Amino acid sequence: MTKATRDVTATQASAVLVSTIIGVGVLPLPLFAVRAADTGGPLVTLLGSVCALIGLLFVAALGMRFPDQSIIQYSERLIGKWPARAIGACLIVFFALLTSLTAREFGEVVVTSVLKQTPVEVTVIVMLMLAAISARNTMSTFAYIHFFYVPLLLVPVLLIVALSLKNAELLNLQPFWGNKPEGMLQGILTIAALFQGSFVMTIVIPAMRRPAKALSVSLYSILIAGGLYVVIVIAVVGVFGAQETRKLLWPTLELAKATSLPANVLERLDGAFLAVWVTAVFTTLLSSYYLTSQSLKQLLRLEEPRIFTFFLLPFVFVLAMVPANIVKMYEAVLNVGKVGLALTTVYPGLLLVIAWVRKKRGSAHER
Amino acid sequence: MNADAPRPFRGIVRRTARACPLLLAAALLCGCWDRTEIEDRAIVLGVSIDKAPPEAENEEESVTHYVKGLGPPASDLIRVGVQLALPGRIPLGPGESGGGGGNDPQKTVWVVDVVGHSVNDALMNLQQELSARLFFGHLRVIVVSEEMARFGLENIDDYFHRNSEVRRMAWMMVSEGEALSLMKASPKLERVPSLYLMTTLDEGIRMGKFPQDYIGIYWSRKSKLGQEGFLPYVKLKKNQTLQTKGLALFQDSRMVGATKPLGIAVYMALKGNNPGGYSAFVKVNGTEVMTHVTHRESKTTFELRDGKPFFNFKMAFELNLEEKLNDELNIQDPTTIREIEQSQMAGAKKLIEEFIGQSQSLGSDVLGLGEYVRAKAPGYWNRNVRTKERWQRMYKEIEYKIDIDMKIRRIGMKAE
Repeated sequence: MTKATRDVTATQASAVLVSTIIGVGVLPLPLFAVRAADTGGPLVTLLGSVCALIGLLFVAALGMRFPDQSIIQYSERLIGKWPARAIGACLIVFFALLTSLTAREFGEVVVTSVLKQTPVEVTVIVMLMLAAISARNTMSTFAYIHFFYVPLLLVPVLLIVALSLKNAELLNLQPFWGNKPEGMLQGILTIAALFQGSFVMTIVIPAMRRPAKALSVSLYSILIAGGLYVVIVIAVVGVFGAQETRKLLWPTLELAKATSLPANVLERLDGAFLAVWVTAVFTTLLSSYYLTSQSLKQLLRLEEPRIFTFFLLPFVFVLAMVPANIVKMYEAVLNVGKVGLALTTVYPGLLLVIAWVRKKRGSAHER
Repeated sequence: MNADAPRPFRGIVRRTARACPLLLAAALLCGCWDRTEIEDRAIVLGVSIDKAPPEAENEEESVTHYVKGLGPPASDLIRVGVQLALPGRIPLGPGESGGGGGNDPQKTVWVVDVVGHSVNDALMNLQQELSARLFFGHLRVIVVSEEMARFGLENIDDYFHRNSEVRRMAWMMVSEGEALSLMKASPKLERVPSLYLMTTLDEGIRMGKFPQDYIGIYWSRKSKLGQEGFLPYVKLKKNQTLQTKGLALFQDSRMVGATKPLGIAVYMALKGNNPGGYSAFVKVNGTEVMTHVTHRESKTTFELRDGKPFFNFKMAFELNLEEKLNDELNIQDPTTIREIEQSQMAGAKKLIEEFIGQSQSLGSDVLGLGEYVRAKAPGYWNRNVRTKERWQRMYKEIEYKIDIDMKIRRIGMKAE
């Protein structure tokens, strides 16, 4: 399938990455940043995005070396069949977990703030089903879906940020490195973990028209998504102050709640923001679900691309329902995210070094 | 069974099977669980919270606690008053008579009050008596009695902060005397009483009478390490009007004092809030004139002097002359204008010193001077302050200097 259609352009690939990265993490992001280094939150977010960029560059560099294969496939050529399969299985489990936690986090926000009587199971399963149905598409449709939604994600968030900045105070953002910067390192990892959806790059590259552009695609998409994240944190901390942000479970949602359109056309924008955010969650969920099912297919060397889309659904759903409460869920999100960094950043880094040392590369003409 | 079906039918069956998940999704996505008719909602417009005498415990039924005495002691009882919008009675447009409610504010809303140990306890007691579900999405005003505010607002803050329906743009105010009476007030200017309370303060912002201090802003200020929150301090007057009496100063969640009405002007001057809205008497050559501040500008700078924070307030005002009490002064004379400016400068300085002095003695840094220290001198902050309590103590000893520039720009339509 991937060999037959190489029609994802660089712009589309960036769109996939941007809309994948911007997801549920937007809501608690300022809380994570502020917990790490109070007023240094924006700096932590910036460094977190840089950290995420490094991981993504590893993936992109590997993808350029092996333009026809995904990580599941070329890792076998680099470190041997069985070790690669074991780690591949870990990657698949990790992304299944990431999918389920994303869906659960979404469900929790919806139950807490909008649909209070709807059981969380319903919200979660509806979202997962949407992702499963959409994951049956080919890579080019997948890219089109993301491309279509990107402006919908960026514009409203930027609007809310721009409108809220008039209430921001510079003092709330000083000192830029934070009063207690000890938690900085942990915070950087936490924030970097929010970018992990970008690992979907590994299955996008084999469908890209010009895989050589993978590096600049990674750079631009992190620039956009990371830039948006930094701007959100600046707005939230600027408006509320670091100490108040600490008290809010979803500071970005609270920011939307505190922001009104000029002349009070709408006094609170949280409703509008949540509507947009549903799309953001959907695209993220779609990517991680797609990545999981495609990787599983490749690991088991099956030809039929849609085989696992519905098969995965019950497993992901049950995983999503495991955390007992919202506090446990966030604990899981943070821990899974940090463990995931080893898989999505360190592992590609190692593979890249091995590829360099063993001088392995796979190109279209070679095979 | 489909296997035997003729070929064209099989296609249809397959297509229907494919449409099933979509139909299911459509049915689930429309959110039927949370369908609420607007008539089934008890829309809360205003809430008042008073302390209740311990005897009131007999009024309370065991709705949230089975055993009497479980939960906080009876001395912590509160009385919560709730102003509910009557469905169909709230006038929608300015010209409308409001569906039969007429213009009498008492007919557009319904005020009920209950006793409880905490805000949620009281509201649950109330819910037990009401057929409709309480809905806080349109809550505009929370009035807290001074007694309650001095007791502490931790529980109240927590409840409204946690509730996802409450807006950050709602107002919270402290009333001198009973808070419930503000819910029952029937001002003539608005047909919905709590909207009147809200408009008084919202218009206050526009006229330069009051700084922005929505509940969300109050929460943010209160949370900061080097700042305390304040709330509008109000009183219901005999004409059923609401007087803004000053700022209720807080230390953490506890009210510690209140300023005079001119204290609001001083606060706004120190913050450089615009437009200017206050007038004051100025003594010149044995007589008085009144001036009105039209524009304020202010800059606060901070430095460390001998290991202590030292603040510089630099302010500039633009004034209009509004009235003379008699004909003794000649306004055409530039020296007179100069004298008025000088005299007002001295007066303003005194007012500011009084304001800061009061907040210092109460240990309530409403100006957020501690935030300057935290933001501009983090090293000093980490070494000497670090916690809010420590700053509350340090604030009492800070020193400052005031620089004021007064300029009378206009004198109205009279030449002399």
